[in-house]
Amino acid sequence: MGSSSLQGAGADSSAPADRLTPAFRRRPKWLKTWFPYLLVAPAVVYLLLITLYPGIYAIIQSFYAVKFGPWNPVGWANYAKLWSDYQFWGALRNTLIIGSISLTLECVIALTLAFFAYRDPWVQGWRILFLIPMLFMPSAVAFIFKLGFLDGRVISDLLIRVGLIEDNLAIQSSIWLSRSMLVLADVWQWTPFLFIIFVAALQGQDEEIEEAARLDGASWPAIFINISLPMMRPVIAVALILRGIDITTMFTNVHIVTKGGPAFGTETMSFLIYRTGFKFFNFGYASAMSVIMLILTIVIAQLVVKRAFVSAKS
Amino acid sequence: MALARRSRGESLIVRYLILGAWAAVCLAPTLWFLSIGLRPRVEIITPQPIYWPTWSLDAWRQLWEQWPMAKYLRNSMLAIVGSVAIDLVLAIPAAFSLSRYTYRGRDDIGFYILSTRMMAPAIVAIPIFFLFKNLQLLDTVWALMIVFAAINLSVVTWIIRSYMLDIPKELEDAARTDGASDLRILWEIIIPAILPGIITASVIAMIFAINEFLFTLLIASTPNAYTLSVALANFTAGTDGVIYNSIALVAFIAFIPIFLVVIAIQKHLSRGLTMGAVKG
Repeated sequence: MGSSSLQGAGADSSAPADRLTPAFRRRPKWLKTWFPYLLVAPAVVYLLLITLYPGIYAIIQSFYAVKFGPWNPVGWANYAKLWSDYQFWGALRNTLIIGSISLTLECVIALTLAFFAYRDPWVQGWRILFLIPMLFMPSAVAFIFKLGFLDGRVISDLLIRVGLIEDNLAIQSSIWLSRSMLVLADVWQWTPFLFIIFVAALQGQDEEIEEAARLDGASWPAIFINISLPMMRPVIAVALILRGIDITTMFTNVHIVTKGGPAFGTETMSFLIYRTGFKFFNFGYASAMSVIMLILTIVIAQLVVKRAFVSAKS
Repeated sequence: MALARRSRGESLIVRYLILGAWAAVCLAPTLWFLSIGLRPRVEIITPQPIYWPTWSLDAWRQLWEQWPMAKYLRNSMLAIVGSVAIDLVLAIPAAFSLSRYTYRGRDDIGFYILSTRMMAPAIVAIPIFFLFKNLQLLDTVWALMIVFAAINLSVVTWIIRSYMLDIPKELEDAARTDGASDLRILWEIIIPAILPGIITASVIAMIFAINEFLFTLLIASTPNAYTLSVALANFTAGTDGVIYNSIALVAFIAFIPIFLVVIAIQKHLSRGLTMGAVKG
């Protein structure tokens, strides 16, 4: 749909000159060629300043030892150090573990909720209710979980009352409980993001196909799995990518709730870079980490994102 | 027939059980956090959690007496409005170019703009910190404005582009034969026609700007440039620890306007959240 109207626009601007209006013909030829570039240029320049410039800066800085004063060239030393730095690999692993568990849970819950909600007469109301967690500032949500799980011990208290556990949960001394806490915080706040998108996609699909399948005697779950889900694939891909980007850059919750502990078990890449740069003022080394992350980002962008956004259009 | 009706009735119970359960999951922490904001500080961290507190407005008074709340609100507003304005000025022409013309490299430019959305803040945090340090913009709202605008520019451009692609060509053609220039067509025909898209993009950008944490943490080193998001993370009373009731109230102060605005654009929300890829 999108691409066809796109080409339509293009075909017109290169139409024969005699069909063009006087005002349009009066323009010099160079302006006609460069006009679209001029329109897009300010945005591109702005983004280059804030992404390309820092990118190059980080690459250069990653070959220096930078503390406070002068930059001392160290060649590949920062990268060599990264290679054997268990904290760096640990952070990479934590990011993947926490990210993939959160993303899977969010996707499954959101799909389930969307499946039940989209044919419901009160779907608008459900949407508004489910949106609420998403509309709090993430830093505030981090404090909700910090208070509920750690400082206020509300979760422990509730679980004791129900009889699931005997004593307060020792979250701060358990890597997996701490990770679970970050996962739950992310799931609580961001499942609505996927839910809103999935419901819209389900509502937007052709009802006649569903109706026909239902007349053939198919049950709703069967219709959902065999018809709706395959049709939603491009939408699911786009939604998961956008969510995946934000999960892998998770910072706020780590900074406020766990500070990366215990035993660096919840330290994400973003938090490690922040800590290396702005707590230990080891800027050269932190830049080397940034460069590795930048390369990963570009590879993923080229391989996955480009394809997903193109297929969602068609 | 009877069978069909019965199986439907059963699935209704399951449906409302599941939807109701998730609604409770969403609401319970929210209401509990609201109760935190409306209780005195001594009832927050106790040996046994208190579920029904003595209601009080202590936190509300303390908020305005102890912290420069007016300043935080002003910083947040300035940074948000300024950044959204920068975004619209840059994104509308860019989206017009990406959606209305064919030229070499157009798709690559479009994808480059999209790909900046993937950049982890941590990657660019250090260079941007030094950039603003050299420009002597650290700890100012201007720096926040510039950064927020950059974070949101990709989203705003792609949302507006998607709405522009929906405008039928015929609208423009009629104006063009009347002799209107491209810029006039943009200003007088396209912008009014995609106003819902522009509003949606602005709302999404506004939410991201309010939420932004890492850059604000680095750029704003004193309350001079704190936004609400970072200010509440600094509500601590030295050795006494975190002042949760003030945090809760600030969270709700920011929540209410966002909630109202989002309800107003509800129909466009899914499209905005996916940068235009899903048409709700």
